[in-house]
Amino acid sequence: MASRLSTVFLMAWTTFADATELRGLAEASGRPLANLVVALEALDQPARAKAPPQSAAMLLDQKSREFVPHVLAVRSGTPVFFPNSDAIKHHVYSFSTAKRFEIKLYSGVPPEPVLFDKPGIVALGCNIHDWMLGYIYVSDADYLGASDNQGRWSLDVPSGRYRLTFWHPYAAEQPAQQVVTVPTTELSVSLKLKAQFQTGKPPASLQIQGYGDGF
Amino acid sequence: MFEFIVSTLSPARSIPGRRQPIGFAGHRSLPAHRHVSAVLLIGSALLIQAKPSLCDEGQFPEFTWHGLLDLRYQHSDAAPGQLEQGLGKLREGGERDRWQINEAATTLQVRLDWDWMATATLKYAHRQSAPVDLTEAFLAYRPVGSAGWRLAGRLGMFFPPISLENVGTAWSSPYTLSSSSINAWVGEELRAFGGELRLDYQTEVGDRIGIFGAALANNDTAGLMLAWRGWSLHDFESTLNGRLRLPEGIGIPRLFPEQASTSQTFVEVDRRPGFYAGIAAERPQRYTLRAMYYDNNADPSGLSAGQYSWHTRFWSLGSKAELPWETTLISQAMIGRTTMGDLIGDLRAVDVGFWSASWLISRPLGEGRFSVRYERFGSDERDYLPQDRNGEHGQAWTVNYNLTFAQRHQVNFEFSSICSARPARLERGESIYQEETLWQVGYRLFF
Repeated sequence: MASRLSTVFLMAWTTFADATELRGLAEASGRPLANLVVALEALDQPARAKAPPQSAAMLLDQKSREFVPHVLAVRSGTPVFFPNSDAIKHHVYSFSTAKRFEIKLYSGVPPEPVLFDKPGIVALGCNIHDWMLGYIYVSDADYLGASDNQGRWSLDVPSGRYRLTFWHPYAAEQPAQQVVTVPTTELSVSLKLKAQFQTGKPPASLQIQGYGDGF
Repeated sequence: MFEFIVSTLSPARSIPGRRQPIGFAGHRSLPAHRHVSAVLLIGSALLIQAKPSLCDEGQFPEFTWHGLLDLRYQHSDAAPGQLEQGLGKLREGGERDRWQINEAATTLQVRLDWDWMATATLKYAHRQSAPVDLTEAFLAYRPVGSAGWRLAGRLGMFFPPISLENVGTAWSSPYTLSSSSINAWVGEELRAFGGELRLDYQTEVGDRIGIFGAALANNDTAGLMLAWRGWSLHDFESTLNGRLRLPEGIGIPRLFPEQASTSQTFVEVDRRPGFYAGIAAERPQRYTLRAMYYDNNADPSGLSAGQYSWHTRFWSLGSKAELPWETTLISQAMIGRTTMGDLIGDLRAVDVGFWSASWLISRPLGEGRFSVRYERFGSDERDYLPQDRNGEHGQAWTVNYNLTFAQRHQVNFEFSSICSARPARLERGESIYQEETLWQVGYRLFF
């Protein structure tokens, strides 16, 4: 409990050698924190002009009965493909107001992409595997990234001023926005994780996977 | 006077031609068959385990297998139990050691399309009356729903949603080997044969709140074991053709000569459907709450083929909470009454109030899981047969530590202690108060 309630320290810094790369490290209780979304809004006109075009399409895979990645950050208007790498079917849905949809995924059959056109947080579930849980963070930000399993994230951005927004699905309270100038001095963000949260992974034991009464 | 009572109790309501089938005794006279079935079931379990249990041809139906093999060492120091037709609190009592194939079960799930799925669980269990038989078989309908509203339904034979502990393969518990007294009774005598509907609202953050209800049949003898044997601790679930032995030496054949020597667990005696209805709320990984009312709506004076109908109704409350230090607390409570026999004045032959409450605390410890459960139970009676004594009270502790390897191999160490007082034991020449213990080592394979 103590570890789970403890403060999560986030540190982000820029490398002075390469002013165009903004890098960061996310940690929770001394452990790397994956799936922290970092959204950058360019405040200077020149940087905004250099913002990359909309991504053509993104992928959110169904692998070992889990959404991979667990958190996907996309810019508004991005089509997302939901491939199914498992040998079984998945039935992905969302009740979120930012995007309500359901998509039926046969094994190995590439489905039509789903267009995420409104900013917001889209919680994903699977009607066949109740434990499956994933998130799509849809944003109008100019640059988007998410921390990997080592808690690292990096974004190539032009020098300038940016407003940084952080989001994590299990943050008790999302950290405040920060304005930084790239290149910038070291900055740190702290947040608390919720005491308990779903991981979206299958139960550790086959015993729990083998019974379903709908309750 | 007894004869008068008996004659009013065993009225012409008994349906001619529906007497106890003679063949039923054959269930117990074929141990060799039972052995063969067990070996077959275990063999198929191992075969299935060797293959990938999931496959997708790209089309429906999609088949999924799961199963369980449960080997058990037990040392009991207890009064004669249910199988010995005693009033001890275990399924098998005595002061002895036992090695046994406790259970082998397999669940077949057939996904018929995106919304419909058929599920059936076949089980062998140690000294089960039908060697291999169904514990559950139902068709489930569960579409995605829209805007957070979800309607789901089940049709067939299934457990009422009472237990918050028996959430594993073939209704096993990840916390203990022996079920709590409430869940042991649910496994032994309760099953819905009918249809269940559930309407849920799911919020964006995943919280769910809903109502559910079912119309059911074939549950008219539920309550008999609670009245005549009382609460007990075991992990035996009755099956479709299940029969349970009645306690001996407490005058049942004398007071109720129409009663067959075994109770047929899932039978419709009076052709009156029963129901249950309740509410459920869940915040994933935080808490689950469930409250329901069950009423089998049986005619207390019904009798058919040696089986009385018992009017059994109860409230069931359950909560599961995830507490600090990765600790899970599961609390369940049940209170109700079961009534049987014709009305004389305002009393019936058997009218027993029953209640039980349990608290289970569980948390990971080292490489395994440690669970402790404490429970209290009791019953009282208000009927016109004081010589048929069905009151009792007691309490029990169960401590379990289990280790799971490679997702599928689970080793359990468990100790249970049950103290109870039941005046009916005097008739058997036993002391009213009994302290019983059970040590168990269990190996369970899940696939």
